[in-house]
Amino acid sequence: MTGTMTGDGRRARLEARGVTVRFGGLAALSDASVDVRAGEVVGLIGPNGAGKTTLFDVICGLRAPDAGSVVLEGADITGRSVHRRARLGIARTFQKLEVFGNLSAVDNVRVAVEMRRRWDRSPMRPLAEAAAVLERVGIAAVAGEAVAGLPTGTARLVELARALATNPRVLLLDEPSSGLDDSETSEVAGLVRSLCDDGLAVLLVEHDMSFVMDICERIFVLDFGRIIAEGSPQDVRVDPAVQAAYLGTEAAPMNGHRQAP
Amino acid sequence: MSPNASDAVGRAERRDTAADVPRRRRTPVPVRQAVVLSGLAVGAVVVSAASWAGTPVTVGNVGGMVVVGLSLGAIYAVSASGLVVVYTTTGVFNFAQGAVGMYWAFVYWELRVNRGWPAPVALALVVLVLAPLGGVLLDRAVMRRLRNLPLVLQLMVTVGLMVAFMGIAATQWQGDRGRTVLPFFGHTGSFEVIGVTVTWHRLITILVAAAIALLLRLLLFRARLGVAMRAVVDSRSLAALNGANGEAVSATAWAIGSSLAAVAGILIAPESQLVVDVLTLVVIDAFAAAAVGRMRSLPWTFAGALLLGVGQQFIRRFLSFDDGFANMHEALPTILLFVVVILLPQAQLRARGVSAQLARRTLRLTDVKESTVGVAALFMLVLAWTGGTLPFTDAWSSVGINRGVTMMVTAIIMLSLVPLTGWAGQVSFAPLAFAGVGAVIFAKITGDTGSAYGLVLAAALTAPVGALMALPAVRLQGLYLALASMAFARGFELLFFTQTAVIDPNRGGRQFAPLSIGGWELTGTGRGYLLALTVVFGAMVTGLVALRRSRWGRRWVAMKDSEAAAATLGINVIETKVAVFVLSAAMAGFGGALFGLQVGTLNVLQFELLVGLPIVLLLVVGGVSLPAAALFGGVNTVLFIVIKDRWDYSWLSALEVLGPGIMAVVMVLNPAGAVAEIGRGFARFLPWRADARAAYAAEVAANREPEPGELGLSRPFTAADMVATERALSVANELARPGHDGAAAAMTVERPAP
Repeated sequence: MTGTMTGDGRRARLEARGVTVRFGGLAALSDASVDVRAGEVVGLIGPNGAGKTTLFDVICGLRAPDAGSVVLEGADITGRSVHRRARLGIARTFQKLEVFGNLSAVDNVRVAVEMRRRWDRSPMRPLAEAAAVLERVGIAAVAGEAVAGLPTGTARLVELARALATNPRVLLLDEPSSGLDDSETSEVAGLVRSLCDDGLAVLLVEHDMSFVMDICERIFVLDFGRIIAEGSPQDVRVDPAVQAAYLGTEAAPMNGHRQAP
Repeated sequence: MSPNASDAVGRAERRDTAADVPRRRRTPVPVRQAVVLSGLAVGAVVVSAASWAGTPVTVGNVGGMVVVGLSLGAIYAVSASGLVVVYTTTGVFNFAQGAVGMYWAFVYWELRVNRGWPAPVALALVVLVLAPLGGVLLDRAVMRRLRNLPLVLQLMVTVGLMVAFMGIAATQWQGDRGRTVLPFFGHTGSFEVIGVTVTWHRLITILVAAAIALLLRLLLFRARLGVAMRAVVDSRSLAALNGANGEAVSATAWAIGSSLAAVAGILIAPESQLVVDVLTLVVIDAFAAAAVGRMRSLPWTFAGALLLGVGQQFIRRFLSFDDGFANMHEALPTILLFVVVILLPQAQLRARGVSAQLARRTLRLTDVKESTVGVAALFMLVLAWTGGTLPFTDAWSSVGINRGVTMMVTAIIMLSLVPLTGWAGQVSFAPLAFAGVGAVIFAKITGDTGSAYGLVLAAALTAPVGALMALPAVRLQGLYLALASMAFARGFELLFFTQTAVIDPNRGGRQFAPLSIGGWELTGTGRGYLLALTVVFGAMVTGLVALRRSRWGRRWVAMKDSEAAAATLGINVIETKVAVFVLSAAMAGFGGALFGLQVGTLNVLQFELLVGLPIVLLLVVGGVSLPAAALFGGVNTVLFIVIKDRWDYSWLSALEVLGPGIMAVVMVLNPAGAVAEIGRGFARFLPWRADARAAYAAEVAANREPEPGELGLSRPFTAADMVATERALSVANELARPGHDGAAAAMTVERPAP
């Protein structure tokens, strides 16, 4: 593996190096390495069961790898607990929703803002700040509503807002566009781009190929737990190994068309 | 293999691992488990050596220990395997297993002894007909509805069932006469092997357990039904797609579970006493055996059960403990349960999706102003009641005051569970253990001086005990935590409160002087005390209302809804859990001190696990996340006592157990809790609740029959029109499906992993 410097000399903000995870005798991830730089959107794609969510779990600390390490801004954080990593700036959303169903939308976000008191000494007004984040994500209208009663797409945006409220340095998005309609999806794409302009590093797992191809600067392709390709959207699209991986399972999305909603 | 050879193999393995995994490697779990186990073994040897009774170690004594221990263990095994079968196939852990067994043992007594039926007939009727039918009935009426409820409610409903069965048995067979079930072939039926006497009953017990083990093994791994049972656990819907009938499987599991409970109950009855509490608790001990099998493995469950039985006999025969630890053999299952809990691997934070919770509405949070108004109203009510201005003639008598005090004290202890269980989702059946600790501390420190500081100290010093209870809680989730809390409560009951230094059973008279606060003297049964308690309760309710709206309240609820997501926001889940356990213990300890002041004299019976269960249940019935539910619980606790006293019918004799049990079982129909429902009904009458009035108006409008003209119809909508519309809609649904859910579902079918 290379050091903390990537090919073009920019420093990686987050690196997963040689991550291996075994479930019993089964390798969910084998020696998988990805990296994200500040201000960059990186896509992680691959057929279902390729190990994408497992890699997210390893990065944010929900699962300890059998081998490999996670490095944030040059510091090895593999041994840190989930909440320590969160305090260091790793935030994520979940493929299967993990909202706080018994709290209102604004309180979901407020919990995150209030936690920041622990490590962020800047003055803050949690309620106002939470409302501002909801506004930014575009769901200020449902601030007072119970998240348990919200449609899946809106709840997904609550999760996004909650992750943003931690003021992350790295944002992991697990299928951010699933459950969203077309206009919501393009709003999220715009939001992610503007976040990157502010210097955030974003790693996202997504099945909607047009979304991935539009938004990502680099893409990693994961198949059977191994990284089989890495590169720009154009390179990945024509990579024979990638096409082989998708052929017969999810060939259609590679043509650049949206999946059926 | 020579030591050297095995060493070489070990080195080779280590080199392999090092080559395979170049970077850091986690400590393998078995090391920690081995350390704990060997530590415990050393501890057990030390304890045994220190309390050796001097019984000669002869073939007769050891053989007797093994025979009696195995037969006792066999009974645990039968009961525990019933638990395991039901848990693995339906996902419901049946806390009522012991009580069900107790109930069928009583039925057997009724037929065999009271009505004089021949043993084989009575046995066949109970074990093969009545018990399975009862199990199927339970499944149909209650258990099926549990499937989609949150775990807390699942646990509470089966605990409710346990308490209800105890109440039913105590009502049906009242405790005013001794009952005994003779062993099979009588007391004298025995034979001797190498100097060890074996009764036929014990031999039969061991053989029955062996036969059951064999039958279950065959059923689960050979029979079609058993394969279906195991498939249903993995995925109910997938098994259904492949032709397994989930409902039949569930009913079968309950029938088997109930039947096995009956066998265990009938076998244990002659060895123990036919007393409701005793039988229920004996069969509860089977929990520890099931825990050894991690609730899933039948062989390990049997091993755990036999170890338990022999271990208990070892203690009884060869060890002798001081009075305070005289219950050691009874406490062994509790200790074993704790050991298993310590050895369990750390529960991982997992993203699990929130589908189970999504069905529930969020309740509107009470604000501090509303709570203050409500609390003030309560105080006025109590003031008027104790002053005799309300039309309940005996209300202000000393009996009435005492009941009022009981109500308030119970409500205060219940409040301790609101943040713990209601908000943070940590199930605890041990509030009375904490209350007992608080009462003892209060008695020791300032009980005889009447200083109010003792109350504060009782709360402050009980808090660390809460941290102790939090130790298993930070490692465990859900069911295992509930079991740990039961073991905790039972452990305190059997080993802590029994110490003479803690509660001296020979000390009579009042241990508490009247409380003196600012020149007022409050005796534990006086009007002033009741009013003071009302103020304290009100202050605590309002404090909790404010706490729920604070960042700690939000954090606890967030942690309950998703520990994984909470951790990814930077919340330290361990610290947050410890905090809520400490708060809860302090509140319960405070309530316990107030209870001590009321009763005057402490004794072991007041803080038993079984006494505490109705308290937990009534709070949950009210709605465990609402402070006001504690008042509901307190009122109901006293109401059952009042009803029982007022109408002196014999069938009411066990009402204070039966009532909460049945209420908790019925709760399955209304999981939100009684107080939430009542609150919803009354909110629109509060002047400041315009939102509730609007919601009510909307509800009324939605239920109103529309006028024909309103819908643009020229004539009333008839039943025939309804049929036609429904048909059209179903066709439309069929047409719409492929483009929507069907397509989405097809997309997300997982590719099998390599």
